[in-house]
Amino acid sequence: MTILSHSSLRKKADVLKKIRQFFDDQSVLEVQTASLLNTPVTDVYIDSISVQINLDIQLKTQYLHTSPELEMKKLIAQGSGDIYQICQVYRDNEQGSQNFNEFTMLEYYRLDFDSHQLMDDIVSLIKMLGIKGEVHKLSYAQAFEQFAQIDILNTSFDELKIIAKSHQLSADFDWIEDLQIFLFTALCEPKLEQLPICFIYDYPAEQSALAKVEDRVAHRFELYLFGVEVANGYDELLEAQSYERIFMRENDRRQRLNKSFAPIDMDFLKQLEDSLPQCSGVAIGIDRLIPQIAK
Amino acid sequence: MAYYSTSQFKNGLKLMLDGNPCSIISNEIRKPGKGQASNKVKLKDLITGKTLEKTFKSGESVEGADVMELNMQYLYNDGSEWNFMDPGTFDQFVINDSNMDDVRGYLVEQDMCVVTLWNDNPISVTPPNHVILEVVDTDPGLKGDSAGTGGKPATMNTGVVVQVPLFIGIGEKVKVDTRTNEYAGRS
Repeated sequence: MTILSHSSLRKKADVLKKIRQFFDDQSVLEVQTASLLNTPVTDVYIDSISVQINLDIQLKTQYLHTSPELEMKKLIAQGSGDIYQICQVYRDNEQGSQNFNEFTMLEYYRLDFDSHQLMDDIVSLIKMLGIKGEVHKLSYAQAFEQFAQIDILNTSFDELKIIAKSHQLSADFDWIEDLQIFLFTALCEPKLEQLPICFIYDYPAEQSALAKVEDRVAHRFELYLFGVEVANGYDELLEAQSYERIFMRENDRRQRLNKSFAPIDMDFLKQLEDSLPQCSGVAIGIDRLIPQIAK
Repeated sequence: MAYYSTSQFKNGLKLMLDGNPCSIISNEIRKPGKGQASNKVKLKDLITGKTLEKTFKSGESVEGADVMELNMQYLYNDGSEWNFMDPGTFDQFVINDSNMDDVRGYLVEQDMCVVTLWNDNPISVTPPNHVILEVVDTDPGLKGDSAGTGGKPATMNTGVVVQVPLFIGIGEKVKVDTRTNEYAGRS
C-alpha cells in the first residue's frame, strides 16, 4: 500500500474546501450525478471503462463516466441553474506521467456566460487557489502564427502534411484535426512551457467537440499551466440535433479506426428537448492543478 | 532492418533519425483532453552526442538503428588510431582519434570499455565509471592538509586535468569518476 504523505492529503482537502467556498459564494450549486452510465462516451479518442453488473439478477453492461458532462447538462436542461461537481472520473487506455485511468475532475457550468466570461471566472478561481503568474490569452490561430509561423485556419490538410514533413514529423493522419492537434503538441506546446497561465481559445471548427461554432472557429478553450493542459471549456452547444450530429460523426470516426460503436445516450437528447439555455462549461483536472499551486 | 512502434519505445532503444543512430533517453506520452495521443521523446544522437527532442504520432513506426554495445579491452593508441579487442573473439577494432574527444583522457591500457558499433563500425567508446590514473603534474601539496578541504588541479598521465585534494602529489595514483571528471579517492 502506498503511504501518502499527510501534507499532500491536507493540500488536496484544502483545495477542495476552497473550491467549494468559491462556488458557494457565487451561489453555484454543488451536484452529484451518476458515475455508472448506460452508454459509453462517443468521443473517438476517449475510452470508457465498461463493467458487468447484476450477474445474480440480470447481467448488464454499464460504463464508468469519463466526465459528468452529459449528466450535468441534463440537470441544466431541467432548470438547475449554475452547477458544479467534483468527482472521480475513469478512462481506459491512459498512460504516462500526466495521464491516469482515474482522476479528480471539477466540472462546472455558468448560465448566460460566454467562453471569455468563463475564462475570467477560472482566472479568479485559480488565483484564489494560489496559482501565480501573468495570464496570457492566445487564440489557437495566434499560437500557431506566433510559435510555428503557420496560418492554421487557412492551411489545407494537404498543405499541413507538407509542413509536417518539412519538420520531419509524421504526416500519416486520417483527419485534418488530428494533424492540427499533433502539430500543436510538437510545435506550440513546448513554447507554452514558459508561460505560467495561458488560455488557448477559438479552435478550428474541425475541433469543435461540443462547443458552438461561429465564423469558422469553435468557441472552445484550453488552459495550460506551464505547458500542462489542465482545463477544457466550451461555449456550449445548445440544440439536441447539434449534439446528435456530433455523436454520429464521432461514431463514424470510431468505425473508421475499428473502434466499437458507442450507443448514443437517447435519454440525453430527449431531456434536451429543443435546447439548453445559453451556458458555458469547463472541466478542470484537479490533480494536475494542485502541483502548480504556489510554484 | 527492424521497425519499432511507439508502443515499443523504451529508454536505450536505438533508432535512426535524419540518417544518424540515436538512443532514447526518455519517452513521455502526451494525450490531449480531446484528440489522439503522441509521444514526446528525448534522444541522444550517437554520432554528434547532441540531445534532440522529437514528437511522434502514437503508433508511428521508426526504423531501428543497428547499434551494438560490446565490452572490449583497450589495447593501445598510435596517435591517430585507438585499438580495442573483443576478448571473446579476439577481433580487433580500430577507432579514429577524431571520435575519441570526450574519452581520450580516461582510457587506460588493458581497461575494459564499452564500444558502440553502428553497422559494425565503432562510433563511440564509454570508459569504465572509475579509472585509476597517475598524477604527472601538480603544485606541491600542503603539509598537514589531510582533510582535503581545498583542491588543486592535477594533470594525469592521460592528459586529463582533475581537481584533487591538496595532499595529493606527483606520482600518486588516484581514482577518477569518468562521468563527472571528479576525484574519487586515492588508489
